[in-house]
Amino acid sequence: MTDNIKIPETKQAIPGLSINNNRGLLQWITTVDHKQIGIMYLVVAVIFFLVGGLFALLMRIQLAIPNNHFLSPETYNQLFTMHGTTMIFFVMMPAIFGFSVYFIPLMIGANEMAFPRLNAFSLWMTFFGGFVLYFSFAAGGAPDAGWFNYAPLNEKNYSSSPGIDYYCMGLFLAGIGSITTAINIIVTVLHYRIQGMSLTKLPLFVWMVFVNAFLILGALPSLNAALAMLLLDRQFDAHFFTAPGGGALLWQHLFWLFGHPEVYILILPAFGIYSEVFQVFSGKRIFGYSFVALSAVAIALLSFGVWMHHMFAVGSGTAVNSFFSASSMLIGIPTGIKIFNWLATMYGGNIRFTVSMMFAIAFLVEFTIGGLTGIAFSIVPLDWQLTDTYYVVAHIHYVFIGGSLFGIFSGLFYWFPKLTGRLLSEKAGKWFFWLFVIGFNGTFFIQHILGILGMPRRVYTYPDLPWYGFFNFISSASAMLMGIAFLLLLWMIHSARKHGTASGSDPWDGFTLEWMAASPPGNQNFDRLPVVHSRRPLWDLKHPDNADDE
Amino acid sequence: MENKTMIKLVIGTEGIFFLALIMAFVYMAFVSGYEPANLHALNIKLTAVFSCTLFASSGTFWMAEKNYNNSNRKGLLTWLCVTMLLGLIFLGGQAHEYIGLINKEITLSSSLFGTSFFTLTGFHGLHVLIGLIVFGILLVLILLGDFDRPGSSVIACAGMYWHFVDIVWLVVFTVVYVLPVIHVLK
Amino acid sequence: MLTLLNICLTRRLLQSMLNPSSEQADRIARLFNYFNVAAGGMVLLVSGLTLYICIRFRSKKTTRHIPEQTKGNNKVEALMITVPGILLAFFFYQTVSVMHSVAPEPDHFPPPDVIITGHQFWWEVRYSAAGVTSANEIHLPAGKRVLLELKSADVIHDWWVPALRNKMDLIPGKINHLWLNINKADTYAGVCSEFCGAQHAWMRMNVMATDSTSYRHWLQEEAATALHPADSLSAKGSVIFAAKTCGGCHNISGTASTGQVGPDLTHFASREKMLGGIMPVTEENIYRWLSHPQEIKPGSKMPNFIFSNDTLKALSHYLGQLK
Ligand code: HEA
Ligand code: HEA
Ligand code: HEC
Ligand code: CUA
Ligand SMILES: [Cu+2]
Repeated sequence: MTDNIKIPETKQAIPGLSINNNRGLLQWITTVDHKQIGIMYLVVAVIFFLVGGLFALLMRIQLAIPNNHFLSPETYNQLFTMHGTTMIFFVMMPAIFGFSVYFIPLMIGANEMAFPRLNAFSLWMTFFGGFVLYFSFAAGGAPDAGWFNYAPLNEKNYSSSPGIDYYCMGLFLAGIGSITTAINIIVTVLHYRIQGMSLTKLPLFVWMVFVNAFLILGALPSLNAALAMLLLDRQFDAHFFTAPGGGALLWQHLFWLFGHPEVYILILPAFGIYSEVFQVFSGKRIFGYSFVALSAVAIALLSFGVWMHHMFAVGSGTAVNSFFSASSMLIGIPTGIKIFNWLATMYGGNIRFTVSMMFAIAFLVEFTIGGLTGIAFSIVPLDWQLTDTYYVVAHIHYVFIGGSLFGIFSGLFYWFPKLTGRLLSEKAGKWFFWLFVIGFNGTFFIQHILGILGMPRRVYTYPDLPWYGFFNFISSASAMLMGIAFLLLLWMIHSARKHGTASGSDPWDGFTLEWMAASPPGNQNFDRLPVVHSRRPLWDLKHPDNADDE
Repeated sequence: MENKTMIKLVIGTEGIFFLALIMAFVYMAFVSGYEPANLHALNIKLTAVFSCTLFASSGTFWMAEKNYNNSNRKGLLTWLCVTMLLGLIFLGGQAHEYIGLINKEITLSSSLFGTSFFTLTGFHGLHVLIGLIVFGILLVLILLGDFDRPGSSVIACAGMYWHFVDIVWLVVFTVVYVLPVIHVLK
Repeated sequence: MLTLLNICLTRRLLQSMLNPSSEQADRIARLFNYFNVAAGGMVLLVSGLTLYICIRFRSKKTTRHIPEQTKGNNKVEALMITVPGILLAFFFYQTVSVMHSVAPEPDHFPPPDVIITGHQFWWEVRYSAAGVTSANEIHLPAGKRVLLELKSADVIHDWWVPALRNKMDLIPGKINHLWLNINKADTYAGVCSEFCGAQHAWMRMNVMATDSTSYRHWLQEEAATALHPADSLSAKGSVIFAAKTCGGCHNISGTASTGQVGPDLTHFASREKMLGGIMPVTEENIYRWLSHPQEIKPGSKMPNFIFSNDTLKALSHYLGQLK
């Protein structure tokens, strides 16, 4: 029917690319196949999520009632530090990379990443980074100065356990892994697209991950530099962050120059996933492709100019604060464009409420709440009141869970059939959805109020002030719902792999090329591929009389 | 093609890494007033000479690359060796400078200047060293006959990296040696 | 709705940024109200649209039609940009204007009324003009403009009294300033808001605002040297205090103890709470604290001592009468 083309042979000889049916452990460890590496990233993310989530639940138990003695302050401080660090660097990053390296080649009609060996290297760097970080538990105490690890509390005089040395080394390794992945992604997207797929015809997921990769290249080096300096301080008595007259602030500048872009690094790929999911389950193409695509570029550029909004309380003067207030507010506009374009995509569609779509829809509301509390912080006088309170904790989780994590869940339900050839149960999935969403809102909505009432973050306990105990108890109880929900998800994955319904190659009536490959895709990914004329090659194939016009 | 894109990205991200270090140096050495004593501890003229060897090595590598593209293996080998020699001289100069400073009791832990000076120049030196190791590997591969014919992008990529390391030194030299002179003279 | 109700109830019960008691906090609270209205509206808009679209365009199992493949519409996009843009412009204007009125920046600050120094995990309070040093309880005059100077002795801490005004970091090697106009005499709860180590949670404080006469009266009392031991037990305590290393860390004016590492104890018993709010100052509590500091406040910078019961009794009796 259409002008089918054979996919080109891989340009580089790929060692060990013999996926046979018995994939032994050794085969997994030595593989350079992007699909296996993608799956391993996801497994790493799930394992660390269990650990990071367990830490969160322990913290919530400690905070359930005032003046609690369940955890010692030292333990609590290690737990929240490791919770934040784990979730950001070893859950969200690997999850995002997992989907990226698995699906980029499939969505652009390639059969591998540009540098397969580098791909494996990145995975193992991430893995060893996590290993080194967690080794600190055995070596005399985990890091305990918070995920952003402010100086001079992170220095030897104030934190004598070796935890922070492991923090430096672990994040440095993982950081190198992230940089190499980003390079790999950019080169793949630039050089391995199928014939006809110009950069303006990229599927939005690929586009977001592509933009994101530049963000990684720009942001991670400043973290790496800061970590190197800190390690020199701690190991060789250098004086970067102990210096009188601003050393402490130097760390904050370097860290947030990385840290702020980092939080967008964790959201842009999720935006990509939502963009695919909204299209497919509304049966429509995206509304305002170029606006959605370009607003990501705007977010990426702006994100390098807002770092001092984490430092409004350091006393830097009205002019500086005004500048960073304005730049932070500006980010609300491109993000708003995305939200409204997704709504417009659904408008007039034929909406199927699969679990994947439900997470995407829930995201619209939850992320708007989280984004607006971000705007509250960008209003400097409000930040002066709200910074470092539970209002910030609420913001973090509304954007990370309601934004990034829901995106990962949405992507998991959407792509699981491609990964395994089996469908996750929609019925159990709805249970999972409602348990998680209710637990999530119960845990974190109330934290806005706690923050307004004056509860600072990072406290291992609090006095019995009016309402504090009650609100914290609700928060803790709801957190358990999320735990239960996640165990349900694990069981669902297990049982789907055992006896889930076979999905076929295209269970959702998809639009992009990955749905042309078998489920799971074979060794070379594709047997045949169409020449691409538009952003939705599969739609064109299915509706030749109503094909997209660009 | 892929390799060249990759090396450009590496250079971009490394550039930002050095930017962070240079910012730290400026922050530590200048914000609270530059200490003229630090300037006297440095031997700017000698370092300028060693810097020239590094800058020259960019030129010699360019020659090596040209010879490679003309399938002149011998030319390639010679110019590559000259490049490595110049790089080594630069590192030797740096080692000499370090020893001198340490004898004057300026070390990583002695002062803010020491901290930021050794970190910045040290990381640059590390990159020179990495370049030399890459050249070493290339040398072996050339001798094994892997680069008899033009067409591989590897030499060009190594060259881009090397030029980048040079340019970084240009900036570092300006910030660490030249600017303070102007600053103190004023 | 429920939460709004809760907040209203709480306004009566608890001090917070919603219940401002200084000129500065007042302006911030008003801005927060504007924000809540605008943000609430925005959330309602997005969730309302979501709900409407989901209901109206849900897939009906019987007829699976193919929806029209719209591409986009520049007029709609323009709307998506201008409406948030206008809202943000309004809030940016408010931000700058409130910032200017809350934190005016003079070129040079007059000598501060109070110098606050953050320590792991307590607040040192110094009234240089009156020669008074105290800890964790900050007495200030209400109805008068006062200037605080904020600095740190170790790591970063953060000054926050929600009802009074904004936070300000206490950063080693940097000096920050804060103006305050407290409206009415009251006791205001405050808390350290930058994570500063093991006992960050128990680095709370109280600001006691009184009218200026009682304030001046208080300063005079504080400036006096410590009371002499009134009975034999406390006399014994004072000897032990001097003999053990206590004086190396704590100051008691009028005695040989002049340490600066821990809180000043000259008028210790006139404070309401000890240890950054963990417990009220009573002899029993002092006894408990001295018998095992690292259990009462684990990670605090006062070491465990091994004292007999008699010693502990004498010490706590002595400290308990240092009004
Ligand atoms: C995925 C991660 C993520 C995302 C997407 C965001 C998004 C935003 N964040 Fe957030 N932020 C964090 C993660 C994230 N943040 C984390 C982890 C911290 C704490 C770090 C720490 O201290 O530990 C933090 C802290 C933080 C602070 C510092 C708080 C403090 O410590 O004092 C600030 C201050 O300005 C801020 C601002 C913003 C803004 C303006 C956005 C904007 O991008 C939001 C834009 C979105 C919207 C506005 C909603 C959708 C838009 C519309 C529906 C259109 C209509 C809107 C308007 C008219 C405004 N964030
Ligand atoms: C992507 C990021 C992410 C995610 C997903 C989460 C998820 C959760 N977070 Fe976290 N959080 C952060 C990022 C994240 N967090 C960051 C960056 C900080 C700041 C840290 C800092 O201040 O330095 C923070 C801080 C933070 C705090 C504040 C601590 C403090 O300031 O004192 C709290 C408190 O309630 C909290 C709670 C939770 C809870 C209840 C969850 C829940 O969603 C978790 C639900 C858990 C599960 C779903 C796991 C299920 C596991 C089991 C049921 C156990 C089974 C166990 C085994 C089999 C081994 N988080
Ligand atoms: C190494 C220094 C050090 C020594 C020695 C020391 N203290 Fe302390 N002390 C501290 C510090 C620091 C605190 C503040 C603890 C906190 O609140 O985190 C403190 C707090 C106190 C307090 C409570 C003060 C308040 O306002 O909350 C009392 C009472 C006290 N010490 C009594 C003593 C006595 C009695 C001794 C001698 C037996 C002693 N201290 C020896 C450092 C020391
Ligand atoms: Cu001091 Cu927190
Ligand atoms: Cu930010």
